[in-house]
Amino acid sequence: MSDMGLIVKTTARATIPLIGIFGSYIVAHGHLTPGGGFQGGATIAGAGILFLLAFGLNEMRKHYNHHVYSSLEGLGGLAFLGVSMLGFSVAFFYNKLWHSGPFFNGKPGTLLSAGYLPIMNLAVGLKVFTGLVSAMAAIALYRRWRE
Amino acid sequence: MKRTFGALALLFIFGTLLVVASPQHGLKFGLGGNNWKNYRYTDQYYIDHGVQEVGGMNIVTDIVFDYRGYDTIGEATVLFTAIAGAVALLRPWRRDEE
Repeated sequence: MSDMGLIVKTTARATIPLIGIFGSYIVAHGHLTPGGGFQGGATIAGAGILFLLAFGLNEMRKHYNHHVYSSLEGLGGLAFLGVSMLGFSVAFFYNKLWHSGPFFNGKPGTLLSAGYLPIMNLAVGLKVFTGLVSAMAAIALYRRWRE
Repeated sequence: MKRTFGALALLFIFGTLLVVASPQHGLKFGLGGNNWKNYRYTDQYYIDHGVQEVGGMNIVTDIVFDYRGYDTIGEATVLFTAIAGAVALLRPWRRDEE
């Protein structure tokens, strides 16, 4: 797959950081504003897919490492499961950090509040981002037809 | 004739489901008693107690990550399985190398 020309490449070079910042904002403020891990991760994955479409497969091959992405996805899932087990003395998925935790126990509405919700949002966002980029890269890399 | 009978049967089943699912007269789930609605319809409970029990201002995030956490685990598993299946099906096989 070749790249898409000068105009698309310049526009993508300008918009990819903005899309990434917007997605990171959605993930980080998932417990305060509408949105969350899934939505923000999908937004950041949109930036990655825009990179793949605009710059072509050869440029993507230089920046995409399959081992890094798959290990990050596993890390996100394991962080989600591990954080959900923090309140295991009461119940699975009990928000122990919020009720009696050392951190993330601020007033509701502030950024450092809501117990394990920010950590879970980060984990799910990482998992969705790496997973969707991996799926798109697999579809682009392993295609069977010829140019 | 057969199609008419089938449509009538479908209409009857839908009507029965509507009657059964209606809160006024139908099945009353829960622990019984007069406050069965509190056990069956939990949305007002989430709105009232979500900020105090879970701590997030976004009630949807409270429900998705705390009250319905198992559903989120299943969703993450589905995503992981879909990507693993895509990679496993699409990767080059030995007979494709030529």
